[in-house]
Amino acid sequence: MGARKTLRSLWAIMYYLGFTPMIRNPLFMAFVFSTPFTLLFILFVASNGTALPYGLAGALTMITTELGLFVGTDLASYKLQNRFQDMVVASPVSPLIYMFGVALSELIFGAPALIILFGLIAGQGASLAALVSCLGVVILLWVTTTSLGFFFSAYAPNTQNAFIINGFITTMLSVLPPVYYSVNVLPPYLVPLAVVIPTTEASSLFQGAIGLGYSIEPAWGFGALLAATFIMLLAVSFRMKWRES
Amino acid sequence: MKALTARGLTKVYRKGKQPALDSLDLEIESGQIFTMLGRNGAGKTTFLRIASTQLLPTSGSVTVLGLDAVKEAKALRERIAIAPQEAETIYPLTPRDHVLLGLRMRGMEKEEAAKRAREALEDLELTDVADTNSDWLSGGLKQRVIVAMVVRTDADLIFLDEPTIGLDPVNRRRVWDQLTRLKRTGKTIILTTHYMDEAEALSDSLVIINKGKVMAAGTPRSVKAAVTSRTTRVDVFDSFDRSELGAFGHVVTIAGRYRVLTDASGARRLGDEAVARNASIAISPVTLDDVFVDIVGEAEREGENGS
Ligand SMILES: Nc1ncnc2c1ncn2[C@@H]1O[C@H](COP(=O)(O)OP(=O)(O)OP(=O)(O)O)[C@@H](O)[C@H]1O
Ligand SMILES: [Mg+2]
Repeated sequence: MGARKTLRSLWAIMYYLGFTPMIRNPLFMAFVFSTPFTLLFILFVASNGTALPYGLAGALTMITTELGLFVGTDLASYKLQNRFQDMVVASPVSPLIYMFGVALSELIFGAPALIILFGLIAGQGASLAALVSCLGVVILLWVTTTSLGFFFSAYAPNTQNAFIINGFITTMLSVLPPVYYSVNVLPPYLVPLAVVIPTTEASSLFQGAIGLGYSIEPAWGFGALLAATFIMLLAVSFRMKWRES
Repeated sequence: MKALTARGLTKVYRKGKQPALDSLDLEIESGQIFTMLGRNGAGKTTFLRIASTQLLPTSGSVTVLGLDAVKEAKALRERIAIAPQEAETIYPLTPRDHVLLGLRMRGMEKEEAAKRAREALEDLELTDVADTNSDWLSGGLKQRVIVAMVVRTDADLIFLDEPTIGLDPVNRRRVWDQLTRLKRTGKTIILTTHYMDEAEALSDSLVIINKGKVMAAGTPRSVKAAVTSRTTRVDVFDSFDRSELGAFGHVVTIAGRYRVLTDASGARRLGDEAVARNASIAISPVTLDDVFVDIVGEAEREGENGS
């Protein structure tokens, strides 16, 4: 496909597999946003407001992760239940266009929540430069988790499983590690384990931008996140189960 | 020109013991409607998935529209489309959404896609339900939505895996009409079905496969003639025992009565005998259905004896 056709193809996938289902079924978004904002609320009231910045960094990380991973559940059902992916494979649509078509439309639907969180972060006194760097982190994390979601969708044996795996990974990536709290409160022997998780790096960068101080060297954090993004994209391009064997 | 050539095509699934395709050789002319027949598990879907670049073969090769389905998959994907077996409509899209998605994801312009979507919906008599949620449609309507997604694409070769499953006789013929129309526009159609009358009425050529092997190939007429000398069938309604009928031909039991597959002279002899006994019989030419049961059933019995 040429560039024009590719764009049309991307738009068609975004429109019919992303926007249309979400407009007709808004409950989906309520579901995605409920957990991050609930955790934010709990942190806020339990700490008398002092842990709000951690809650914001955590919620931003978690929503981005969810939006990425949710692509996996959607793709798993398009593949396993609808057999729609079979039609896509046997067509000019490339796997990256398909994956990002679905992913982008979900990101756009997540935009209102992201905007609210960015507003609250700005309210904590973050500079414009800090907000821009947060946006960069969101994008990197989103590409990483989207690729991860795509991977799981390819290996999930059925849709129920895909849903369960998705919930498990979301918790493992965005609740358990230092996402809603600082790396510094972990016992030292757990720190090396925590810093290899991309969500830890992302949240630490958010925490720094909000003014909580960087618990991980920001250059290292960015580098690690960039590396994770690159590796996941590479993995998707080369090892993806697009054609089965 | 050949639209598809398979050579020694073999597929052994990782968890499978028996090969799903066993050194299959096949040639399909372009501009034809080609039908694959075979029992459940014969390997039809496996073949379609390999030829349409969704699945890798274990060995052997398949060339589609002059392109190697493994090595030149990217170029091939520009020119094919498939309606998979057991495809389901996507909640909460309407039939029109489905057809538009099928066309526009291939890069078609919006206006052109809208025009072709109208045609496709008309082709399959979906206009009245075009804008209702597909979840509310009956099974047969949903199945037609899947077919509608591919009939107006720009693909040169269209695969359809059991496109008429669950359709009533009127709607099956409507699908046949559409496939025939597609053929007239120069496209090649490769489909699978369990309906013998469909294969007989629709296809220019066909293949019967069993356990991943070709059992018979050719035109419907030549397959019928070549695989069996039993050109005539006699349905026997009363007055005969099964053991007596064996003298006239090959006896199968259908819904509690006997059907004798035989040649003209066998039919004549049985006819005389029936007249003598004042028995009710009906004589007609064999259908592909009879041939299918005959040869696939035969292979099955041989397999049982062999093991
Ligand atoms: N993913 C898979 N893994 C393992 N075995 C498989 C897989 N898919 C199919 N098979 C096996 O391969 C054989 C051929 O299956 P296939 O789906 O090609 O048959 P079919 O002719 O399309 O049957 P049907 O008429 O029921 O659709 C069967 O024995 C089936 O169990
Ligand atoms: Mg099948």
